[in-house]
Amino acid sequence: MNLILWLSLVPALLVIVFAPRYGLRTLLGNWREMRTRELMEDALKHLIDREQQGRHASPESLAGTLGLPAAKVMNIIARMNSQNLIEHRGVELYLTPEGERWALHVVRAHRLWERYLADEARLPLEKIHAEAHRREHSLTPAQADELDAALGYPTRDPHGDPIPNRDGVLPSGGGTPLTAWQTNRPARIVHLEDEPELAYAQILAAGLRLGQTIRIIETAPERYVLSDGEAEYLLAPAVAANVHVAPLPESMLALTDAVPLDELRHNQRGEIVALDEACQGFTRRRFLDLGLTPGTTIYPELKNSFGDPRGYRVRGTLIALRREQANQVWVKPT
Amino acid sequence: MPPNPTNPPDATEILAKADQLRGTLGTGFRDEIVKSLYNEAETIARRAVHAEGDHKYDFDQRIDRIVTSPIFGLPIMLLMLAVIIWITVIGANAPSNLIASGLFWVEAQAANLFESWGIPWWITGFLWHGVYRGLAWVIAVMLPPMAIFFPMFTFLEDLGYLPRVAFNLDFLFKKSGAHGKQALTMAMGFGCNAAGVVATRVIDSPRERLIAILTNNFVPCNGRFPTLIMLGTVFVAAAFPPAFASIAAAGSVVGVVVIGVIFTLVVSWALSKTILKGEASAFTLELPPYRRPNFIRILYTSLIDRTLFVLFRAVQTAAPAGAVIWILANINLGNVSLAQHIADFLNPFGLLLGLDGVILLAYIIAIPANEIVVPTMLMVYLGTGMMTDLPGLNDLKTLLVDMHGWTMLTAINLMLFALLHNPCATTIITIYKETNSKKWAALGALLPLGIGFVVTFTTASIARLFGWV
Repeated sequence: MNLILWLSLVPALLVIVFAPRYGLRTLLGNWREMRTRELMEDALKHLIDREQQGRHASPESLAGTLGLPAAKVMNIIARMNSQNLIEHRGVELYLTPEGERWALHVVRAHRLWERYLADEARLPLEKIHAEAHRREHSLTPAQADELDAALGYPTRDPHGDPIPNRDGVLPSGGGTPLTAWQTNRPARIVHLEDEPELAYAQILAAGLRLGQTIRIIETAPERYVLSDGEAEYLLAPAVAANVHVAPLPESMLALTDAVPLDELRHNQRGEIVALDEACQGFTRRRFLDLGLTPGTTIYPELKNSFGDPRGYRVRGTLIALRREQANQVWVKPT
Repeated sequence: MPPNPTNPPDATEILAKADQLRGTLGTGFRDEIVKSLYNEAETIARRAVHAEGDHKYDFDQRIDRIVTSPIFGLPIMLLMLAVIIWITVIGANAPSNLIASGLFWVEAQAANLFESWGIPWWITGFLWHGVYRGLAWVIAVMLPPMAIFFPMFTFLEDLGYLPRVAFNLDFLFKKSGAHGKQALTMAMGFGCNAAGVVATRVIDSPRERLIAILTNNFVPCNGRFPTLIMLGTVFVAAAFPPAFASIAAAGSVVGVVVIGVIFTLVVSWALSKTILKGEASAFTLELPPYRRPNFIRILYTSLIDRTLFVLFRAVQTAAPAGAVIWILANINLGNVSLAQHIADFLNPFGLLLGLDGVILLAYIIAIPANEIVVPTMLMVYLGTGMMTDLPGLNDLKTLLVDMHGWTMLTAINLMLFALLHNPCATTIITIYKETNSKKWAALGALLPLGIGFVVTFTTASIARLFGWV
C-alpha cells in the first residue's frame, strides 16, 4: 500500500518541479530572470537620471538607489557591462549609446504609464508613481508606441516631467525651482518632482497641483508662503525646491478673473473660459463632447436637495455635474 | 500645386515632418478642434432651426422642481418602484399559472405517449420530467414577470424620468465611490440581475461600471421575490397578531430589499477603496427633456432586447439543470436518492448557517434560475422524482416546520440567503460577456456568496447564543 503511494507520489512531484513549461523550476527561473531585468532597468534609469543632472553615477550611488548590498550591485554592473550597456571610467559609470537607448525607453514607458494611470484610470496622483514603476518593465518599445499614440502623444507626465519620444528625444522647456523665483511674480506650476516620495506627499498635502497659478507672497528661512488668490499654501524650503514654475502663458492670462463653475449662483449666467489644466484624458474628452467649449454660455438651472450634483443648462440641454467636475470648468460670470 | 507623381514624398519623411510639427501645436489644439466643430454645427443649426419662446423649458422645469424637490423627490421615487414591483408580482400570477398548466399538460401527454410506445421509463423521465420540465418551469415563472416589469421600466426610461432618479440619489453613490447611474442599473436589477448587468453600459467609466456590475446582485430580482413573499407570509406574518400579519409580511420583504440596498452601497464603497481604487471619474449625467413615450419602441426594447434576451440565456442553462435535477432525484444508492445523499452530506454545513442541507443543495443545482430553487427544495423534501409546486400555505408549514425542523431562524436566514448568494448562471454568463473576463465573473459570483455565508452564520450564531432557537 505504502509502496504504491510512494511510487505514484514521486513521479508526480518530479513532474510538478521539472515540467518543461509550467514546472516550478522553469517558473522560478523565469521569475528570477524577470527580477534581474527589472533591477537592471532600474539601474539604467538611475544612470540616465544622474547624467541628465550633470552628475556621475558610481556603484555606491547605484547601491543607494536600488537599496541593494554592494555584492548584488556588482553583479548587475557586470551583467550590464557584458551586454555593452555601460562603460567604466575609473569608478564612474557611463551609459553606452545602446544603454542610453534602453534607459530612455524605460523612462518613456514609466512616464506614459503615469499619464495613462492619471488620465484614463483616474488613479489618485500619489499612487501612480508606484503603479507605473511596477508596469514599466513589461512594455516593449512597440507597445510603448501604441500607448503613446492612444494617449495622443503627450509631452509631459502628470508631474510635468518630459516624456521622450520614439527616438528618445526629450521635448524642450522645463521650469525654474520655486526657490529661484521672484516674490510676487505670477507663475504657473509646470512640474512637481515625485521623488523623494515624502516631499511629493507634502506638496500634495499642501494642496498644490500641476497647472495652478500662484505667487510667492513671503519667503523666510524656514518656510515659503504661496497664494493662488484665494488660499495660502505653506511649504518648507527643501520641499519648495521640488516645485518648478514657469511664466504664465498667454491663454492663462484670460483666467485671471474667472471662477470655477461651481461658484455660479442659481440661474447666474457664465461664459466658459477654459477647462482646467489638471483635467485631462477621459474627463476632458467627455466635457468637450458635451459641448463645454470655451465661449459657451452656461448656468446652473436645477438645484439638488442634497447639494450635489447640480443641473447646468448648456447649449439647450440640461447636464448634471458633481462639484469636483464643475470646479474643473473656469467661467467668467456675465 | 498638384503633387509630383514621379517623385512622391517618402512616407517616413512625412511622418518625421508630422512628428516635428506636433511639437509646435501646443496643448490646447484638441480643444480648438472641438470648438470649431461646435461652431460649424451651431451655424448650420441656426440656419435650419427656429425657436419661438421657451414654453417647453418652463414645463420641464416645473416637473423637474417637483421630482427633485427635497419633500417629494424621494417619496415619488419609492412609490413608483413599489407600484411597479407590486403590479409585477400580482399581475404575473395568472399568466404564470396559465403558461405552467399549458406546458405541463404537454409534458403529461408526451409522457403518456412515450409510455404507450413502450419506451423505457427512464428515457421518458429524463427527457420529459427532467429536461423539458426544467425548461417549462423557467419559461412559466420567468416570462410573465419580465414581460410586465420591463415595459413599465422602459416606459419610465422613455419618459425621461429615470435620469432624475440618478440625479436625486447620486449623493449616496458619490460617497460609495460609485456613479449615480448605478441607481438605474439597480432598479433594473429588480426586474432581472442579468438585465441590470447589461444596463451598466450606460455608465461610461470602466471603474464605476465594474462596481455596478459586481454589486447588481444585491438587489433581489423578480425570481427571488416569490420566495421572499412566501417566507414572509408563512413565517414572519404568523408570528404577529392577524391584524398586523399582512403588514408584517410586506415589512419583512421591504426589510430584505433595504438590506440589499445597504449592502450595495457598502460593498461599492469597499470595492472602490480596495481592488477598484481610483477617483470618481467624470460624472456627467444628461437630463433629457421629458417627452411623450413611443409605445412601439417601448414594446420592442422591453420585449425583444430585454425579456427575450434574458429568457433565451436562461433557457440555455435551464435544460441541463432540469436534466441534472431529474438524475439526482431518480438515481438511488441504497434506498435513498442521490439528491438526499448530497443533502445529508451538506446538512452539517447548512445547519451551521441556520439553513439545512436541502436548501444548500437546491441553491447548488438550481443555479440557472432562482425561480426553481423552491420547487427543487420541495422535490427533495417530498421525495418526489421531479420539481414540485407549492402545496397550500398550511400544508407547506406543516411540511417544513413539523417534518423538517424549520424554525423562525431557518426562515429568516433563507430570506437573507435568497438576497445574498451567488447570482444565477444567466447573470454570471452575462457578467463574463460584459467584462470579457473570467476573473470578474468569478468575483461577481463568489463575493455575494461569501457575504451570504458570513451573514447567515452570524445571525445563526447570535440566535443560538441568546437561546432563541
